[in-house]
Amino acid sequence: MVGLSLGEKHFIQGGIAQDIRSDGRKRLTYRPINVETGVIPQANGSARIRMGATDVISTVKAELGKPISLQPDKGKVSIYVDCSPTAAPMFEGRGGEELSTELSVALQRSLLGGKSGAGAGIDLSSLVVVEGKICWDLYIDCLVVCSDGNLLDALGAAIKAALSNTGIPRVQVAAGASGDEQPEVDISDEEFLQFDTSDIPVIVTLTKVGRHYIVDATTEEESQMSSAISISVNRKGHICGLNKRGGAGLDPSIVLDMISVAKHVSEQLMNKLDSEIAAAEAGEDES
Amino acid sequence: MREIELSLNQTQKIRLKRALEKLESFSSKASSNSNASVSISDSIPVNHEDGVLKGHGTLDLNGELVATLCGVVERVNKLVYVRALRARYKPEVGDIVVGRVSEVAQKRWRLDIHYSQDAVLMLSSMNLPDGIQRRRTALDELNMRSIFEENDVICAEVRGNQHDGLHLQARSQKYGKLERGQLLTVPPYLVRRRKQHFHHLEQYGVDLILGCNGFIWVGEHVEARDDMVEDQVSKPEQQNIKSNKNSISLEEQEQTYTPIETRQSICRIANAVRVLSILGFNITIEVIMDTMNLSSSLNLDIHEMLGSEFCVLVAEGEAERRSLTKKKG
Repeated sequence: MVGLSLGEKHFIQGGIAQDIRSDGRKRLTYRPINVETGVIPQANGSARIRMGATDVISTVKAELGKPISLQPDKGKVSIYVDCSPTAAPMFEGRGGEELSTELSVALQRSLLGGKSGAGAGIDLSSLVVVEGKICWDLYIDCLVVCSDGNLLDALGAAIKAALSNTGIPRVQVAAGASGDEQPEVDISDEEFLQFDTSDIPVIVTLTKVGRHYIVDATTEEESQMSSAISISVNRKGHICGLNKRGGAGLDPSIVLDMISVAKHVSEQLMNKLDSEIAAAEAGEDES
Repeated sequence: MREIELSLNQTQKIRLKRALEKLESFSSKASSNSNASVSISDSIPVNHEDGVLKGHGTLDLNGELVATLCGVVERVNKLVYVRALRARYKPEVGDIVVGRVSEVAQKRWRLDIHYSQDAVLMLSSMNLPDGIQRRRTALDELNMRSIFEENDVICAEVRGNQHDGLHLQARSQKYGKLERGQLLTVPPYLVRRRKQHFHHLEQYGVDLILGCNGFIWVGEHVEARDDMVEDQVSKPEQQNIKSNKNSISLEEQEQTYTPIETRQSICRIANAVRVLSILGFNITIEVIMDTMNLSSSLNLDIHEMLGSEFCVLVAEGEAERRSLTKKKG
């Protein structure tokens, strides 16, 4: 990442204060979002999201596994993010690992809820095949191809798009299996069940620069931030996860204000994403 | 056709393709046969009796002159060479470049100008803040940071290629540190060498500097200061700003922000440059002004200039403009 001179930093801060950012956007305007689904045919579901120069790919792979003994009626989901060295020179070798773990943990908290599986944005009970014995394990892998700020939002949107593109094969369980035995399963190659993604939350990151908050910050704007809050909101307007970055302290009233702004922005983002995902899927069906 | 990274729907893709094809047809009509563009292993038509000199990008294969680069064939007297189109920036003496300071070294600054090496700006090639012409002393060397720091954006002119690298000079009032604006990066082959690289757009109050190395500066207009007069007044102010940066309250900082109308013009011009860079069109002041006027006439919001619709409109407008100039000349 290139450094910025004092004059440029002053210009960026002035832009945010006057509601005209470097590319003319208002504080709460997102960059144009481009969604492509089905980009990786070997996976059960995949999507690629471009927000300006930020480019992320997300894939979902489903495998049969055993549920955790503490939650026999829930499937398992694991989210992992990898920052590719092509995104930025500092990601070469092991440089991107810190950011990758930070993003993975933030996504897990936002989308999967707590350890008991409560409050998960993704409905884990729909993943169970045979209670206590067989469930679907979803492995969600994300790759950051190009980074220009606002990675968390892009990854959240990519996961949502990938899950709506996911087809889980239909499973036939052989009847008459006794208590302890592993039942026979027959995974069909033909029929697929579409994952229900209407409840999956979107993540909105609000970056505080000076006295104002902006949405969808570019890398230059993020270098000027004092703190950032990422809030995942679902369709009902409920908060599914909250994440604060940045060392500067925030007054609690500001945090509440940011949450209400995020709720307001998330409605538009959710609608925009849904229409883009639908368009992408329609386009994919045609081609 | 080069894939452009825009999310276009079907109709927009067709319109864009048509506009680009139209532009391509103009260029192929313009160039005569001997200046045709070649790809690797195309043979270059050459009159062998003339004793031709084989330059860069060519190879003598079985008596035939064959191109080893994709580009345009250039002929200068007996020299035949292939000039690559998408090459790295190649500096020439007298070029105006915009660079970012990467290091403050002994008696010089090293600048990153998107070239294969860092350019060098010697302390002696820079006007001192007090404007006097004198020998640079050790004290001057110690105070180099007060003139330019790391990551500052500087405008300078190429002086030449010396033994230790590319040397720049900034001896005129119009060169120097650039503040209060934004720096854009475009591919260097889109900025052609012209007579004028500094553009002061009076009606917007904006300075536009088209660096030949692909760095374009769009910023608020700053009058070229007469250092000797202003020195007493401005120096303490500047020092105050730098040292009290943390303790300046937000209100005071807000007073020094760029006025809103100027900022809108700056962002509009910056977006025009971004659109032209996405489409791969040559960036000249006329094209930028045309794009600006197009966006103003359509009453587009500034950020909508980066959307796919406007890009297609700009491509079509450029095709129109070029067909008109063809008909005239």
